[in-house]
Amino acid sequence: MNYKQLIDRLSEQTGNTKVKTKEILGDTVSVLSEQLSRGSGVSIPDLGTFSTKINQEKKVYNPHYEAYIMVPPKRTVEFSPSTNLKEEVKYLEQPDE
Amino acid sequence: MSEKITFKELVELIAKQSEQSQSSTNSFITELVQIIESGLKSSGSVSISGFGKFELRWMNERTGTNPQTGEEITIPGQNKVVFKPYKALREDVNAPYAGLKSRIIREETEIFEPAVPVQKSKDSSETIDDLIIEHDNPHFVKPEKPKKKTPVAAPLPNEAKLAEEVQKSGSFKWSYAAAVIIALIAFIALFFMIQRGIDTTETPTTTPQIEQVTPPVVSDEEPADVAEPEPPDTEPQTEFETTSFTVEPGQSLWTIAENQLGNPYLWPVLYNVNQDILTNPNQLPAASDLQIPEISDPENLNEFEREQVALGYFALYEWNLENNPDEARYFLWAVGVFSPELLDQPPSDVDPDDLAFARNR
Repeated sequence: MNYKQLIDRLSEQTGNTKVKTKEILGDTVSVLSEQLSRGSGVSIPDLGTFSTKINQEKKVYNPHYEAYIMVPPKRTVEFSPSTNLKEEVKYLEQPDE
Repeated sequence: MSEKITFKELVELIAKQSEQSQSSTNSFITELVQIIESGLKSSGSVSISGFGKFELRWMNERTGTNPQTGEEITIPGQNKVVFKPYKALREDVNAPYAGLKSRIIREETEIFEPAVPVQKSKDSSETIDDLIIEHDNPHFVKPEKPKKKTPVAAPLPNEAKLAEEVQKSGSFKWSYAAAVIIALIAFIALFFMIQRGIDTTETPTTTPQIEQVTPPVVSDEEPADVAEPEPPDTEPQTEFETTSFTVEPGQSLWTIAENQLGNPYLWPVLYNVNQDILTNPNQLPAASDLQIPEISDPENLNEFEREQVALGYFALYEWNLENNPDEARYFLWAVGVFSPELLDQPPSDVDPDDLAFARNR
């Protein structure tokens, strides 16, 4: 399901216009990413938990340079689905895509 | 980092931002979650622009062991929900580390730097043991003599001699030697503390650390004093303005350089400036007061700063030459990175092989 389809469905369900739906979804996204940028985790019932994690600096071998490279630390987003969602999709037929 | 906001707070924030009531925001999110779930079921992926994409990933059947019984079991194939953040979100979240780039390894040696020098204040007995062993070893005692040129310098030769004698005679037990040395060290530290007390009238706050071998250093000491024992040092025209900084548990030179100087790769300059405290660059004595030089712009060092960093790497080269000869040459190479001029006029005690390595890299 792409973004357009999501907006279509969402405006259908909530009765808002598509433009309005897009705005609210945009606000939701910006609040979520702001919270994550501050390092706060966010839980959404029935969907799951978003949190951030710091990947520590590490040394990897780069075959192109034939040398070890220091990869700097990085903060990434982690998502852990709720039990409910996990169980719902667990034994579905494998989707075609 | 473990901080979390509740769903209620989240709804409040979104309601405020989108100028809607909380109840309609709440039902909006409920709908969103349902649509994500049904989208996952119907097409296997749901994409939200500017945020990320939820996807189903099929995990093949595999065998595992029951951790309680040790019995082999077959885990059937199943779907897993994964979330892939899009670029905008990734960049937002990674903003604090955005400036950092990968670097080719002079870090082969530095790699252990963040891990090893983590201060051992919790476990001070271990630290003391470590230090005792180092002091018993004549390798360590000798190079220390020229470096410690403050009031401590006078009693030190005794200590060195004693350690050597103890070793030569061989009839002493190590523990005995250790006891003598620790007593000496404590005495020296005490002496130093008293002196300092007279000098500054300020009562030292780090009294429990006396046994940490390296007493807190008088804060108005000039970095030039420290640089002097450096063989290749041409007297610098300017001097660093320094500020005092007390080491906290869990810090290393690397992290201090990162936080105070703005670039972790500048940590050798800390070592260079604080050589009177740091006999081993991989060990940071608890609660010691370091001098932190002022670096105007960590991305664009001026000539003097570059030279100082290079001297720091050179000091590390010398230290490693004695204690970790296999990796010393990487530090020499780093000298050339910061100040090629210094490599062009190498001091005599540079190993020719290392020099060739550093130049050709």
